[in-house]
Amino acid sequence: MSGIFDTDVENAWCPGCGNFPILDAVKRALERTGKAKHEIVLVSGIGQAAKLPHYVDVNVFNGLHGRALPAALAIRMADPSLTVVVTSGDGDIYGEGGNHFVHNLRRNPDIAVFVHDNQVYGLTKGQPSPTSDPGWAGSLQRSGVIAGPIRPLAAAIALGCGFVARGLAADVEFTADLMVRAIAHKGFALVDILQPCVTFNKKNTYQWYGKMVYKLPADHDATDRVRSFGLALEWEERIPIGVLYCREDRPTFEELHPGVGEPPLHARETPAEAVRDLLRKRLFTLP
Amino acid sequence: MGMDVTIRVTGGAGQGVHTAGGLLSRLAVASGHHFHATQDYMSRIRGGRNSYSVRIREIPVRAGREAADILLALEPGHLPHFLPAVSPAGVVVCDLPAGGSERKDRRVTAAPLRELAVAAGSPILGNMVGTGIVARALGIPPETVERVLALEFKGDFLDKNRKAARLGAEWAEGRLPGSYRLPEAAFLPRMILSGNEALALGAVAGGCTFAAGYPMTPGSSILLGLSVDGPPLGLVFEQAEDELAAMNMAIGASYAGARAMVATSGGGFALMTEALSLAGMMETPVVVALAMRPGPATGMPTRTGQEDLAFALAAGHGEFPRLVLSPGSVEEAYALGHHAMEMAEAYQVPCILLTDQYLADTVVDVDPGDFPVLPVHRRIVRGDDAPRDPNGKYLRYAITGNGVSPMAVPGEPGITVVADSDEHAQDGHLTEDHAVRIAMVEKRMRKGEALATETLPPLLSGPPGGEVVLVGFGSTKGVIAEAREILAGEGIAAAAVHLRQVEPFPAQAISEILDRYRTSLTVENNRTGQLARLIRAETVREVSGTVARFDGLPFTPDDVVKSVKERR
Repeated sequence: MSGIFDTDVENAWCPGCGNFPILDAVKRALERTGKAKHEIVLVSGIGQAAKLPHYVDVNVFNGLHGRALPAALAIRMADPSLTVVVTSGDGDIYGEGGNHFVHNLRRNPDIAVFVHDNQVYGLTKGQPSPTSDPGWAGSLQRSGVIAGPIRPLAAAIALGCGFVARGLAADVEFTADLMVRAIAHKGFALVDILQPCVTFNKKNTYQWYGKMVYKLPADHDATDRVRSFGLALEWEERIPIGVLYCREDRPTFEELHPGVGEPPLHARETPAEAVRDLLRKRLFTLP
Repeated sequence: MGMDVTIRVTGGAGQGVHTAGGLLSRLAVASGHHFHATQDYMSRIRGGRNSYSVRIREIPVRAGREAADILLALEPGHLPHFLPAVSPAGVVVCDLPAGGSERKDRRVTAAPLRELAVAAGSPILGNMVGTGIVARALGIPPETVERVLALEFKGDFLDKNRKAARLGAEWAEGRLPGSYRLPEAAFLPRMILSGNEALALGAVAGGCTFAAGYPMTPGSSILLGLSVDGPPLGLVFEQAEDELAAMNMAIGASYAGARAMVATSGGGFALMTEALSLAGMMETPVVVALAMRPGPATGMPTRTGQEDLAFALAAGHGEFPRLVLSPGSVEEAYALGHHAMEMAEAYQVPCILLTDQYLADTVVDVDPGDFPVLPVHRRIVRGDDAPRDPNGKYLRYAITGNGVSPMAVPGEPGITVVADSDEHAQDGHLTEDHAVRIAMVEKRMRKGEALATETLPPLLSGPPGGEVVLVGFGSTKGVIAEAREILAGEGIAAAAVHLRQVEPFPAQAISEILDRYRTSLTVENNRTGQLARLIRAETVREVSGTVARFDGLPFTPDDVVKSVKERR
């Protein structure tokens, strides 16, 4: 399959990696937005998931581990005409970048955030992540994870996120549809994507997810915050996928910030007369 | 020499020390004189022991003095602490201290600050009664006091303050010596600015359109300046959740074409260093204002130090070129704020503005002529000016002669901008190819070489050769200059060198200067002589020694003179 967003950059993922179907879903979703390449910015941190932007022919900001969100926020502040999408891993967004996850949910910038959630640190060879199941034994925690998992969707709903969804890497079309809706959503939109790690996570496999997940029924009321919060906590018995929560009643950060808007920052000039006025205000004169 | 009077207002936080000091400074300017004001305050919101020192002269003042001629003590309990730094012929104005030997000190004039404040309408007006008393001692006419008060206060509060100042002045009549009366002088229009205010103004005048930060003394007032002065000129400001976010936001904004800046102190800068390295790798222009305070760790949050020179020079993992500027005055803070914005973009490098609490909080009157409106040169390329590969793909990191690759921004039709923190090829995509790695390292380093051709030379004052040369960077400029003048007045042929840029280092110029003097001393607010080490590394020359002060307080010219005489 070749599409308009393909690049010829050499891929660095393992054969069978859950990142491949996520990449397909991202490209499909971007195609459906109808946006041109130059209007889209893919932002990521570090990790195998964070390499995804290199494989999509759009603007790319592949920054530091954990710091995708501050960069994405600032890109939106600099030019709100850009469609900004973050694609990164669970360790990157929920672990190293946890503080930025919390505070950007508070801000509610108009960005879509796709988290490749494989419950493991792949690139550093198999350490538990913030979403690893308790008791799971990975590198550096051989006797099993002691800390309880972050429930990212519950955290997002608690912090006022207006679009909270869970995708499944194996179901490209379903996940692409969630991505399209996330990008269209006005405000911070989170899609946590269940993704098998074929190399390091022998528990949460394609088969395991296949057995555990269920699609939310068509009559699920995604505007009911309390009900959605309950769904976001489901994990042990079965795991809901789909749009858990969706409300667009919160203004975005960009709408509320008095300085953000036209013209974009790269086009703002510094008129000599305005500087002169600024300096004149500091002149000490007697009435 | 002419008139040279230092007034020190002292008291707890919340007693109006800052207000009184600021008013006395304005009164000096309103009377046609010049001032230099510094603050020494404790890290708390209320109480503590704070001081605001205002030195007034007939010529512009660029350093403070240890000894106060007039001490206005709003909290009598502080007298034992502040009396030792009052000159022998000085005057101390305060409410009568309860007991204690201070009552017998001939310099102490018991003034009914609280009683007159209550008479004026509120016990909190003691600072204004004291201001009235000091203004009277300076011979400032009541009309001038009223006009300056009218600039500060409005309505009922103005009336009360006016009354308090008037009661103070009336009480002072005939009670204080006439030796501190300021001579008649013509009023000149001046700007009144602190180092941090000037730095923020310079950055805004230099086209800064994005700033983010997390508050940290003494960098916070730069953020305040940017957030207040910037928006009318199109600057977008955001208070970040932490310094990691602030720096990564600045880099994200810069990637999208903003002129971006952050401001912090040492601890915050420590958190920013990973992203400083990102700016080096991504070649995103960014300016970091680093206002130093004593460390390590939290150190002395509200005091001054120059302990982060070596840190600023080495911060960030890996090798990449950077510009480090060190303004030495309020005027230079403005000029270098602008220069930093221009140079960061011209060479696509991070630029650090190294200042400290002393310069941050130093307030002086300045000549508006020293605050020119300078052009802003944006260097973003569009369309056909963007370098491309044979397939038309934009090459963000195109290999060029001086290493600077034409920078386009996302949003431009026909262009996609790829920026990566990994080593990357010319198109921005990550690579592990060693030959490409070498080419990219060399490209980045060529930017450093090009940057070095625009190094700001050190400023030398005094004889071109002779007995002793004092070398400093940053905020010590004014102090060293005055120390040099004092030494010259005593027949010691001393010269002063001020470094306003420490990276790339002006090695050739400093080498030539050092070779012309018998003795060379660095003057630095740190224990280990970081500037002396830098000079050794860059010029292969040993300075004769270092005049060090690391108690958290700024140098005074007297300190420097004393040390020079001991070591000469």
